[in-house]
Amino acid sequence: MKIAIAFALSIASLAGASARAADLDITVADVRVAKGTLMIALVDSAAGWDDQAKAVAASTRKAAGAQEVFHFPNLPPGTYAAKVMHDENDNGKLDVNVMGMPVEGYGFSNNPQVLRKPTFDEAKFDLGAAGGAITIHLR
Amino acid sequence: MNRRHFLRDVMAAGAAFALAPGLLRAEVAQATDSERFARALAKQPWLAGWKSVDRAAFGPMQATIEGRLPKGFAGTLYRNGPAWFERAGFRYRHWFDGDGMLHAWRFGERSVEHRARMVGTSKFSREQQAGRFLLPAAGTTIADAIPIRNNDDVNTANTAVIRVDGRLLALWEGGSAYELEPDTLSTLGPVSWRDDLVAAPFSAHPLVERDGSLWNFGSLDLLGGSGLLLWHIGADGKLIRSATLPTSSPGYLHSFAMTERHLVFLLMPYRLTQGQGAAFFERLHFESAQPCRIAVVPKDALDAPRWFEVEFGAVYHYADAYERNGEIVVGAARHGDLAEMRSPMAAAMRGERRSDVLETELVSLHLDLARGRARWQGSGVRGIEFPTFDRRHDIAAPARLFAPLRTEPASAPYFNAVAAIDLQRERRSVHRYGSDILVEEHVFVPNPAGGRVGEGWLVGTLLDTRRGRSGIAVLDAEHVGDGPLAQAWLPYAMPLGFHGTFAARA
Repeated sequence: MKIAIAFALSIASLAGASARAADLDITVADVRVAKGTLMIALVDSAAGWDDQAKAVAASTRKAAGAQEVFHFPNLPPGTYAAKVMHDENDNGKLDVNVMGMPVEGYGFSNNPQVLRKPTFDEAKFDLGAAGGAITIHLR
Repeated sequence: MNRRHFLRDVMAAGAAFALAPGLLRAEVAQATDSERFARALAKQPWLAGWKSVDRAAFGPMQATIEGRLPKGFAGTLYRNGPAWFERAGFRYRHWFDGDGMLHAWRFGERSVEHRARMVGTSKFSREQQAGRFLLPAAGTTIADAIPIRNNDDVNTANTAVIRVDGRLLALWEGGSAYELEPDTLSTLGPVSWRDDLVAAPFSAHPLVERDGSLWNFGSLDLLGGSGLLLWHIGADGKLIRSATLPTSSPGYLHSFAMTERHLVFLLMPYRLTQGQGAAFFERLHFESAQPCRIAVVPKDALDAPRWFEVEFGAVYHYADAYERNGEIVVGAARHGDLAEMRSPMAAAMRGERRSDVLETELVSLHLDLARGRARWQGSGVRGIEFPTFDRRHDIAAPARLFAPLRTEPASAPYFNAVAAIDLQRERRSVHRYGSDILVEEHVFVPNPAGGRVGEGWLVGTLLDTRRGRSGIAVLDAEHVGDGPLAQAWLPYAMPLGFHGTFAARA
């Protein structure tokens, strides 16, 4: 019955500091309701995307409008991918129905046009030394 | 807030879609031509049945009555159907893609008032704001469609309408029922029968039990899973039970049948062609060399289906079903043209005329419970669809059926008559509305003053394509051949719809 498969993931701690330079702004757009909490996580490897390594950074914020900008300072230039969820009812998880279909908002960097978990390659983007900005449309 | 949960759950969300989406995918598309359709409509007025509406509300409007409304006939015929087919010059290719419009035809003693309003689905609201189609459709690929959260993001609520405990629900087959306010037809929102069943598919064809409760199903195949979700909703609008019926291979079904004791689901085998980004009905290929599988599910044991196989047959709509001498017999409108089955009236959607023959036949599906065998039996009644009947019919004999029928002469490749069909006595009574009239489903309304089965009226909607007006007819269900007791006409034409329900005024 259940279509969803839970992926185990553990983050004991966030990655330690190294040579950091670039700033990243992630705009989370198409927030459908101004309630609950937006949660975003940034990874820098396929292993991180697939729960085999730690996230680089994570952030949460109360949803207040149609979009929110998350600022990640001092990142090493490189390849990243981000995922975001909108915990509309603040129960600490992305609610899914009995079929495993999400019933709260979520999104991925690059906004891949796939109806499955995107791969790291589909969601990845490059961050140069000058920093950058991307937009994730919540679905 | 637990960050560990958050990350795990985002991953789980993605994983759900690993198995998803026939119905929901769409990428590259080509625009169809709204202008070409408009040019065709100017030459062939019957195409008005597939013309897009361009505003979200019509009426209230008093219709002009011809004839005399019968005493005791009081209430509202609610109807639903796809109505919004075009945006920004782009026209849907599949009839089922149009966003749903709810109609209310209110009968007073000497008046008929019509009102119609688009169902305010999230899809419709977002696309109204954007001024273009944004979301994947069931039968047309949409260029630059935006990613969707779940199946309800593409819910058009465009197929049927029911009343449950005084509530008015617009139905589709791949997602939630949408609740509307019964008087103003303003949309209240999607219905959740239970917290974990948000957005679960609830088909457009629930069947009403004698106690007023509803049985229904939702196809998980449409969502990329497999099996059927079974629903039993109480007359009070509360969920009594839900269950899952596992299936062994992909099977399409639009509706089902039921007897006193059983639910009957016929699954048409299909495969989806590859075609990245193509819509569900574009990728759908019926495997007509394979048999259909039929689940006969006892109402008191939803986990104990009995399976039958029968030669392939394509069916959207069933009529009555009954049990007699160890046999279940189900009436059905069977389609002989699989291209039409996959995309009904596809030529009309393009502004073209294809064949004039409507390749449907009223048939019976016979399930021999003792021997575990199933077979089809033809009736010779062809060119019909949307069968209805008096729900109070005998539980051990065929019901008298009512259905739109195509007769010659006809200016359109569509129904222009209504028939009452008694298969048991091999009798048929037909009223021809006229060669320029398109005829929709006729709903049976019991006469509140009489308790006899079959005593009542038929109420059905019409589109007069010569005079460019929509209308409604009321007939004596026992004298269909005599024609309408009354008709009422609007000063405007609406596109054709699918299914309705009559809410008698208490």
